Amino acid sequence: MRAHVLYAHPVETSYCAALHSRVVDQLAAAGHEVDDFDLYAAGFEPLLSRAERLAYHDIPDNRQTVSDCVDRLLAAEALILVFPVWNFGFPAILKGYFDRVFLPGVSFRMEDGVVQPNLDNLRRIVAVTTYGGTRLRAWMMGDPPRRLVKRLLNVTAPNARVSYHALYDMNRADDRRRSAFLDRAGHAMRTI
Amino acid sequence: MRVLLVYCHPCEESFNRAVRDTALAALDDNGHEVRLLDLYAIGFDPTMSPEERRGYHTPKANELPVSEHLALVRWAEALVFVYPTWWFGLPAMLKGWCDRVFVPHATFVMPDSSHPMGPQLTNIRQIAVITTCGATWWMSKFVGEPGRRTILRGIRWLCHPKCKTHYLAHYKMDTSTPASRARFLSKVEGLPRLIA
Repeated sequence: MRAHVLYAHPVETSYCAALHSRVVDQLAAAGHEVDDFDLYAAGFEPLLSRAERLAYHDIPDNRQTVSDCVDRLLAAEALILVFPVWNFGFPAILKGYFDRVFLPGVSFRMEDGVVQPNLDNLRRIVAVTTYGGTRLRAWMMGDPPRRLVKRLLNVTAPNARVSYHALYDMNRADDRRRSAFLDRAGHAMRTI
Repeated sequence: MRVLLVYCHPCEESFNRAVRDTALAALDDNGHEVRLLDLYAIGFDPTMSPEERRGYHTPKANELPVSEHLALVRWAEALVFVYPTWWFGLPAMLKGWCDRVFVPHATFVMPDSSHPMGPQLTNIRQIAVITTCGATWWMSKFVGEPGRRTILRGIRWLCHPKCKTHYLAHYKMDTSTPASRARFLSKVEGLPRLIA
């Protein structure tokens, strides 16, 4: 399977970096073709500009400034997100990816005034993430990133099976929990 | 009341700009002291850098990269956010502002083995979100309104325990009419009553 990995953490010695390595290694070991997109390393610009906002609904010109990102997304059969949850949401650089790349004509299209999903190419969507807060706190906050992945991404990619792997209460996680979660992420990739 | 209005839209001809100006005028007319933070206009960088992330947990030092913003947040008794909802959430610009400004120790107490997290911004007693959504009300509820929750639950939790929250949204923005937009602006004019 062609797996497009979106990774969003600035520090190469972080636990999230270790998760990213494990994900990429295990996908490759399982024989999948990996297209790894490290948003920070690539210097991805998260801001939708004034010009992009004005051209937002002009298909296909609206994808001009992000055509490489769009091509990679549309070529993927699996989309894997590896990111830390900050402030109960995606880091800005990953939110900016959705703002700029999930465009009309890319992730959805209008047919007779009705929104239709467009990411028919995706068969799997997997998120691997870490939370500073506990699962209870995330639940009390409505756990926005979990809903975005499980509900919204599934709407744009109706053929995809979605799974969400999260390590909560990261600030107090010991080596055993961290190591177990790395194994869980690796297992999820081998069995994708 | 001291009000910090955080505004985020790249286009000055946008409806959000009209919302912003309506809110500013209404707050001013009602005697509130208002400061405007226009994130696109000041060229705020929403991406937390590697250095900032490495220093994220260091008390005091983690305030330095965003000290002016923290001073505004500490000055305010009310926060008002005006932004377009994109993909059911905050634009990356505004999400990045939250990521970089609401740092530990300054805005919340870090949890340890015996204590949970705790709020630090007890000066803030009102938070309002005024936003536009392309989606319908029903679809927004189905996805769970991540942007609304990020601010009115996540950021709200860093504020005074009795902090009140308010949410004004114009849904189905792409099929809005002059009449629907005018109705919405008249609701925005009522903002001072909401946060009074």
